Formats: sequence, structure tokens, C-alpha cells
Amino acid sequence: MSETSVRPDGRDPLGRDTIPKFFAYNAQHRRDRPAMREKDLGIWQTWTWGEVDAKVRDMVGGLAAMGFRRGDKLTIIGDNRPELYWAMAATQALGGIPVPVYQDSVADEIQYVIDHAEARFAIVENQEQVDKLLSIRDRLPGLETIIYSDPRGLRHYTEPFLRSLSDLTTQGAAYNQAHPGFVEAEIAKGNGSDISIICYTSGTTGRPKGVMLSHDNVVRSANLAIAFDKLNENDQILAYLPMAWVGDNFLSYVEGAVAGFCMNCPESADTVLQDLREVGPTYFFAPPRIWENLLTTVMIRMEDASAIKRRMFLYFIALARRVGRRILEGKPVSLVDRLQYALGDLLVYGPLKNVLGVSRLRLAYTAGEAIGPDIFDFFRALGINLKQLYGQTECTVYLCMHTDTDVDPDTVGPPAPGVELKIDATTGEVLFRSPGVFVGYYKNDAATAETKTPDGWVHTGDAGVFTDTGHLRIIDRAKDVGRLTDGSLFAPKYIENKLKFFPHIKEAVAFGHGRDHVAVFINIDLAAVGSWAERNGLSYTSYADLAGRPEVYNLVKGCIEQVNRDLSSDSSMTASQVKRFLILHKELDADDGELTRTRKVRRSTITERYGTLIEALYSGQSAIAVEAKITFEDGRTGSFKANLPIAEATIYSTMRKAG
Amino acid sequence: MSVAEKKIGDVLLKVENISLSFGGVKALTDISFEIREHEVLAIIGPNGAGKSSMLNCINGFYHPQQGTITYRGEKRKQMKPHEAASHGIARTFQNIALFKGMSTLDNIMTGRLLKMKAGLLASAFYKGPAEREQIVHREFCERIIDFLEIQAIRKVPVGRLPYGLQKRVELARALAAEPTLLLLDEPMAGMNLEEKQDMCRFILDVNDEFGTTICLIEHDMGVVMDISDRVVVLDYGRKIGDGIPSEVKNNQAVIDAYLGVQH
Amino acid sequence: MAFFFEVLIGGLMAGVMYSLVALGFVLIFKASGVFNFAQGAMVLFAGLFFVGFNELGVPMWLSLILTVGVMVLLAGVIERLVLRHLVNQEGIILFMATIGVSFFLDGFGQLIWGSNVRQLDVGIPTDPIFLMDGEILIQSFDLWAALVAGTLLAALVVFQKTRTGRALRAVADDHQAAQSVGIPLNVIWIIVWAIAGLVALVAGIMWGSKLGVQPAIVSLALKALPVLILGGFTSIPGAIIGGLIIGAGEKLAEVYIGPMFGGGIENWFAYVLALGFLLIRPQGLFGEKLIERV
Repeated sequence: MSETSVRPDGRDPLGRDTIPKFFAYNAQHRRDRPAMREKDLGIWQTWTWGEVDAKVRDMVGGLAAMGFRRGDKLTIIGDNRPELYWAMAATQALGGIPVPVYQDSVADEIQYVIDHAEARFAIVENQEQVDKLLSIRDRLPGLETIIYSDPRGLRHYTEPFLRSLSDLTTQGAAYNQAHPGFVEAEIAKGNGSDISIICYTSGTTGRPKGVMLSHDNVVRSANLAIAFDKLNENDQILAYLPMAWVGDNFLSYVEGAVAGFCMNCPESADTVLQDLREVGPTYFFAPPRIWENLLTTVMIRMEDASAIKRRMFLYFIALARRVGRRILEGKPVSLVDRLQYALGDLLVYGPLKNVLGVSRLRLAYTAGEAIGPDIFDFFRALGINLKQLYGQTECTVYLCMHTDTDVDPDTVGPPAPGVELKIDATTGEVLFRSPGVFVGYYKNDAATAETKTPDGWVHTGDAGVFTDTGHLRIIDRAKDVGRLTDGSLFAPKYIENKLKFFPHIKEAVAFGHGRDHVAVFINIDLAAVGSWAERNGLSYTSYADLAGRPEVYNLVKGCIEQVNRDLSSDSSMTASQVKRFLILHKELDADDGELTRTRKVRRSTITERYGTLIEALYSGQSAIAVEAKITFEDGRTGSFKANLPIAEATIYSTMRKAG
Repeated sequence: MSVAEKKIGDVLLKVENISLSFGGVKALTDISFEIREHEVLAIIGPNGAGKSSMLNCINGFYHPQQGTITYRGEKRKQMKPHEAASHGIARTFQNIALFKGMSTLDNIMTGRLLKMKAGLLASAFYKGPAEREQIVHREFCERIIDFLEIQAIRKVPVGRLPYGLQKRVELARALAAEPTLLLLDEPMAGMNLEEKQDMCRFILDVNDEFGTTICLIEHDMGVVMDISDRVVVLDYGRKIGDGIPSEVKNNQAVIDAYLGVQH
Repeated sequence: MAFFFEVLIGGLMAGVMYSLVALGFVLIFKASGVFNFAQGAMVLFAGLFFVGFNELGVPMWLSLILTVGVMVLLAGVIERLVLRHLVNQEGIILFMATIGVSFFLDGFGQLIWGSNVRQLDVGIPTDPIFLMDGEILIQSFDLWAALVAGTLLAALVVFQKTRTGRALRAVADDHQAAQSVGIPLNVIWIIVWAIAGLVALVAGIMWGSKLGVQPAIVSLALKALPVLILGGFTSIPGAIIGGLIIGAGEKLAEVYIGPMFGGGIENWFAYVLALGFLLIRPQGLFGEKLIERV
């Protein structure tokens, strides 16, 4: 098709500059191709682009009949449902701005967003969301109408501002009949600089900020990404991540409209993995957590499998881990290995991918947080083109993406087409310029000015380094990055994450800012180390007892030295190797304020509480006396007095990665 | 929020002077109450108060020695459980009675057995009509699956499901029979708070959407007060309270029974 | 080699006959958890009535219908007089009850029709058939038996899919739940026993045609026991395959192992095979975990 030749700035060669124009184009040129699917009452229902167009038109008419004006905001709350995407398209067709809200938000959070966005209309999935809105309705004088999609349980609700979606579409059909050419005219009025969506980002601190993205932002970014990954109208995606997240909006809705492919909505949040199997998407995005779950399911199944099966599985997975990635990336592999891999595909990889629902997958992404290299490699070894992506709402989803043939689990890839990146020399922060640079934070110019420099660069808030291969590696939040006394970068989270990928290590806290070397506290994983101890005939009475054993120190030392070797291979990180460590005599606990409820380390609390231990790490002594209250496995409590050993780990000299 | 008042209708089932004993041990003594159309009636009481026995009498598992049960204006003598079912009385059990080897869907389909017209011979020889009938029933079951949000376990053998979900499947099977009167024996027993809240919502939704009359037994007084229109309190096989929740809550005899005051 | 196949095929065909009896056991056990010791006696009982009507000059088709009627009536009577009063009793009590039924049927049948061996000829051809240039000889009667068993099996499988079949499965799974969805327990029991009676009738006709209708059929029918142990108490395909294995196994053993013991192992070999199997896989080839009620 002619539109495949993308312009370097991402502008559409056919001049379509808003999403509704793509919907209209698809309705004409892909009339009978599937656009959306949803599993309902156990059966997959399909809507073609032509049918979607008709639905959207009805909603456009319905909204117009209710007095929807250009620039009005409509908030959307619910699971991924075709009707809600239609409502989004209808809003945009009328020059309005959809404001999706996370469906699991509590009433207060919703109230803030609707109030801040000044939304006049809300369209919600069901009674649950209606109830939430009703509970805050008196604090939302600007909210005029609530439209609901699923009428169940709402029959007896008599509020005059409640409307059913079916009611709205009926009215809309009549409106359109009375106003021929209305929808076309409204769509034609739109242009690229109009705001396409406001996504509220839940910042770690303070109130959420509404990121405004223009149609230009999303259309240009989509054109570039589609060309980059050669997406086309035959692709299938599963739309299962929250509609309020910019990623779902971009990957499923925008890219779907621009490339003309089909989005599949799961039956319910609980059935996603089954629906994945049934749909067999070609294009899939999942945060690391989901990939990890998939891998765990496989491993659990294998535990239960017969000995023959398990042996076969282990053999071929080992083979895949050795040669699978090279085959996927088109690198030379011996004929024998290739033949074996083909056999493995027939016996293990194929059936396994089929069970997971990833056998048709040609493109998969993960992002959001660091993924364990082990998990990442597993899927690539199976021949799944899993890549990392880095970005944020403010840049319209992506800044960096791996290319199909150059993938490194430790990086997020080189800058994507159209994206300029630079790293601030003093803070290590990553800044970008791209066609996706957001318009601004809605009604928050101060925050916008703070983030966007006058010459168009945007602060990401993340610290990163470029590897020798030209990939970006995100190492930490910029504000957490410090410096060693020799001036080299110290990124605690980067080191801690590397350590935490070892099953034996549960938590790690790294120190080094203003010091001459890096040292860490370790929390061992009691379950993993406990079973390791059992296998090795090591008996122990409590966590503290186990943690203090020289054998365990050796085990942890092995992990740390592996990390050190890894760090030494990278010129910018080699100074961050861990020189000294100790294993804490107690587990860090959210109840004691040492971790947040989401299990993030509270650095300040720890620095304060364990100050003497930190000093000991840097004092050169080989042990430190501690006293603490502990709880034994049987529930008794006692006082723990011991000498906590401090151990040294080998530091490696910088070496270049081979090849 | 303003919710239109629901309409509670005429007496659907009337229990008069029921007494039941097992080999001289009295389980129920002279119990009378009414269940009205479209209402949610809760029978509560401490353990061993005779709640389950009462339910078993209504549903025909037990036959009381004295008293009468009038259902839809008809006095019935000794009704068997399957007769009760064919008269539109469906129920769930305290200890979950599911067909453990079958999938969730098959269990619910079994609930439609009474609705299936195609007889033994017809379904064996004329595949066409029977299959078409199956499709209709399947669709009905899918609506219930959707209603109770159990899509994810459609194909899972129920024996493998956690307790809370089994309870939900059991409710689904009872609903598949499109009952007039739904008897729920401790629908929330053994559930955590969240599961209890879900179950409450389902019970209210069933009552609201299908107009089903619901008689439920509950051990825990707090849970039922919010969802019942009326409450009957039993203690040691006798009725000690009957009325709307707020009345019953302040009834001295009820308070004593729950606090364990000796008679 | 040809001789081996001849023995094997002969054995398999004999096995089909065991399967016919085993099927009746499985049906009742599946639906009610009752191990029906009387299945063997039912085979004789059905055979006696059928041949008895025949000898009275009743045409073959009418005798068949009449005997079907007798078996259905019998199912009703057993339910009314025995099962109904033993609901919710221990499995062992029900088992004992079926022993009683067994002796009653055995005696009652003979009381009416006498105890001498009666020839039964329903027109199944008995000529031998030669395969592979006459190297292998098989009885055409055996082929017919296999055909009949196959038809019966197919009918039962279809039956399982019907509404009644579904009800049966429900009853087998949980009595209380089945009743609460409107399945009448008594009716189901009558249906199950009637079907078991029909299976017994088929078995009775086949065994009767082969050996004559005689009281020895009852003890022969006990060969179904090792078949059940092998195939599993709750599996219909298990009953068929178990029968085939037992049939083939004992014939082959008789021919190839028998001489070592001086012959005559056919009568007990099946039980040894079953015993050995019990030790390895107590739930049988296709059985679910053995239900504790037996």
C-alpha cells in the first residue's frame, strides 16, 4: 500500500493528521476487514472497520445531540471494551478530548481527574463505575452527564443525568439522519495540533498531572513506529492493559487505526491469559511481571510433567538458551545445532508457544521496569522476538526500542527513528526531543516549564548512560544517582536490581555516594536460601542464624562477583563494582518502615537506622557487633547478639566485551 | 442515591406450624412464617438452631411430621426434592454439592436439565433439534456465567476450584433452572470479606434483575442485615423473631440467643 | 505365527463375551456406586425367559420384546423393594443386598423354567471362516458377538450424551445436588437397572447361543470381575478393553504357558492377571480413583 513509505518526520503522506481521519479512511478502504473483537458470552464477536465506523457515527450524533462542543472533555472509565474505544473515537471526531481514567481508581482519585480536566461528560462501563461517580457527584458540579454501557443493576437508578449508551446511539442515529454530512464536516474540522488525549500520570509524589498529547504527536509517532517494526493491517493485538495508560492508547488504538490492524478485547480481566491463547496475537506488549508469570506457569507445569517430558524439556531449553537467540537474530549457528533446534521446535518450543498463546507472535515488547535477563533470554531463546522499549507518557510512549537483530537485555536499545537523545553531563539525566514531545501538562504551566526546556528538550527524570554499542541503558531515577569520590557515576538501583535478579537475594541496598567504593547490604531470600541450605545439609534456627553462616556469605559473594564482572565490562559502570558487603541480620520490612508498601527500599530510614553498619562497611573492620530482637521460626522471640561479618568481594579490571 | 423501591408481592410460600423430629430429637417446633414474592428473606440463628432443617423441609429433603407448607397457594403434603425443583425451587448447599468431575459449564448446564424438552429418544436419534436446543441452553448458561463473572473458569473441572468460586458455581447452577424461589444455605460461609461482598452483590443483583425470591440462611448476623428485606430468627428449633432487620436487631430474645443466654 | 494369531483372535472374541457382562456392572456402579453382584444372575435370568418364551412357541421378536418387558419390570421391582429402602446406606449393605437379589434371581428363574440346559438358536451362523489361505480359523459366531458388542457400546456412548445420560452422570457425581436440580433419583435407578437388564439380555442371548442357557452361566459371568479390575469400575471403554485383554491373555496363556503346569490354567489365569494388575494400578486402566464405597 502506498502509505508504507514513511516520511522521516513521521507526517502522514496522505495528509491524515487526526485519528478520526484514519477511522474514516479505514471505513472506506478496509470496510470488511476486522477492526475490533471482543469475547462476549463465550464467543468472539467481530466488528469490521465499516461496522466500527457506523457505531462511532451514532455516538458522534448522540454526543452532538446532547450539546457536546469542540474542546469538551469526556472521561472514560472501564475495562478495555470496544464501546469505550468507540466513544473515544467519537469524542475525537467531534474535536473533543477523551480523558481515560484507571478503572480501579477509587472515587477520590476519579474526582480529582474529572474536576481538574473539567470533563462535562463521562462514559463508564458498568454499575461499579456509576456508583463511584454518584458518590462524588456533588463535588463535581461540571460533570453534566454520565453514560453507562452495561445496564445491569442500573435499572432502578433514576438520576436524570444518567443515560444508557444504547439510548445515546439511538438518539445519535436520528440526529445524523436529520443532519446529513454532519459527521464528515466535524471530522474535517480537526487538525493535527488539536489535543488527541489527556493522560493523567500518577506521579510518585503529588497530584497526577494531565499530559496533553496532540493528534500530531500520536500520528507521527505511530507512523514512525509502524515503519520501524513493519506493522500492517494483518496484525492482531490484545488490548488488555488499562485504557488510561498511554501505552494501551497508543499501541492498540492509535497504531491500530493508523496501520489498520485489529484489536482484541479480553472477556474479562481474569481471562486474559486464556484469551491470549485463543487470539494468538502477532503483536503483544506486556510488562515484565506478565512475562515472569508466563515463565512461572511453564515451570510449574514442567514440575508436574512426567520424567521423560521434563528431561526433554530441560535438554531442549538448554539448547535454546545456547543457540536460540543467535538463530533469531540471524547469526551463524552450526548445522547440527540448527537441526537440533528444529527438532526442539517440533517437540518443545512449538507446543509450548502454542499453550502460552505466543506462537503467532512476531513482535513483542516489554517496558516499565527492569526485566530479569533470565526471563528475557528464555523467550528470545524460544524464538519470540521480545524486545525492550523505553519511554514515558510525555514522549508518546517510546524513545528507544531494540531493533530485531540487536537486542541486549541490559539496555533499552538505540534511540528510535525521529528521536534525539542527550545525557546531561552533570546529573546523568536523559533528555529527549522527538515528534512525540507532549504539548504540555494540562493547566499546569509551572510543571510544563520545569520539564520542557525552551529549546524543546524534555527532562525524563531518568539517569542513563550510552553503552559502547550505542544503546541507552537506564540506570536509576536521576535524583537518586550519586557520585563516587573519583567522580564516577553511582546508580544504586541499577546495582541493586542486578543483585535482586539472583533468586537467593531478596533485597539489596547499595551505598557509594561520596564514598570511594560501593558497598551493599543484602537480604537473603529465606525460601530460596533455606532450600539451598537444606540441600547442602546446613541446619539453621532462624533467619539471622542462616544469614550469618560463612557458607551463605560465600553464596552471596559468588552472586556479587558475577555482578562485578558484569559491571567491569562497561566502562561507565566499572567503578561501581561492589567491594564490601554484609548480610543483614533481619529482613527489611514494610511494617518497620524500611520498605514502602510496594516493597521499594526507603533509603533515608535505612541510612538512619543502620548508620553504624554503614560506617563499618567503610571502616575496614571485618565484623561488627549487633544486638536486635528477633523472632524464631516457631514464633518465640529472643534477643540476638552477634558479630555480623563483613566480607570483601573481588573487583575486576575493566575489560572489553568479546566480539 | 435514589433507587426506586422494589415491589414485594403476595405470599409465595407459607410455612404453618411445622414440627420435625429425628428419632425423638426435636429439630423444629411449631414454626410458621411466610416468604413473599420478590423479597430476600433471611433465616438466621446460632449453630444448631434448625435453619438447615427448615430449608430441607421447604425443598423436600425432609418431611415434617406436623404442619403444612403452602406453595403458590397450593398445600403440599410430601414433596420430593426433584418435585420441588420442577416447581421452581432451586437451592445451594452449605457444604457445596457440585458435580465435581464436571466443568463449571457442564455443572451449570445440568441446572438446565428440567428445561430441556428433547426427550431421551429424540436426543438420541434426531441430532438437529437437540443440538439447536443445546445452543439455546448454552446461551442461557453463558449469560449466567457473565452475570456471576466466572468466565475464567468456564472449562475448569469444579473440583479444582477454590472454595469461594465453587460457591459461585453452585449459585450459577441454581440460577440456570430459572427458579421462582431460590434457597441459599449459608452462601457466604467460609469466605473472606471480599468474597462475601461479591456474594452479597450477586444475591442482590439476582433478586433485582430476575425478580427471584430468595430465602437464605446465614449464621453470621451482620452480613444478612444489609441485604435482607425480612429476617426470621430461629433458636433451638423455635422461631424467636420475625420482622424487618432493624426490628429484629433490637429484639431482646434475639440478642439473648446470640449472646448465649440460657433459657 | 498363524497359529498364534488364531489363538489371539479366538481369545479376543471370547473376551468380547466377558465384556458384555462387565458392561452391566460398570453401568450400575457408575450411576449408583453399587457393585451389583447380581449381574451374572441377571444374564441367566434374561436368557431363561427369552429361551422359555421361545419354547412356548412365542415368535423370536415377540419373545425379545416380552423379555425386555420382564427386565424393565425387574428393574422397577428391585428399585421399589430393595434400593428405595437402602438409600444412603453403606456400600457394603447394598452389595449384600445384590447378593440376595442374585440368589433370588438364580432360584426364581429356575423355579419357573427348570434347571436343565436349553439350546438357544437365534440364527447366528456358526460356520468357521478361514483367513490367510486357510492358515487361520475363526468362528463366524465370534465375529457376530464382536459386532453385537460394538453396536451395544456405540448405543451406550450415544446414550451418555442425551439428557438422560447427563442426568445419570449427575447422579453418579452427587446424589443431593442431582435431586436439587430436579433429577428424580428413583427414576434414574430404574433406568440404570433396566439398561443393565437389557445388557444382561444381550449377554444372555449370546452366551446362551454359544453354551446353551444353563446355570453355569452365572459363575462364568464372574469372569467379568477380573475384566473390571483391569478396565476400571467406572469406564465403559475399560470394560471392553479389559475384556479383550482377559480373553486374549487367558487363551494365549493356556496355549503357551499352560503346558509348563500341565495345562488347565485358563480357569484361574484371568484372576492372577487381575491380581497382579491391582498391585500396579488399583484404579484400573481407565478408572477414576477407586471409589471407597466398594
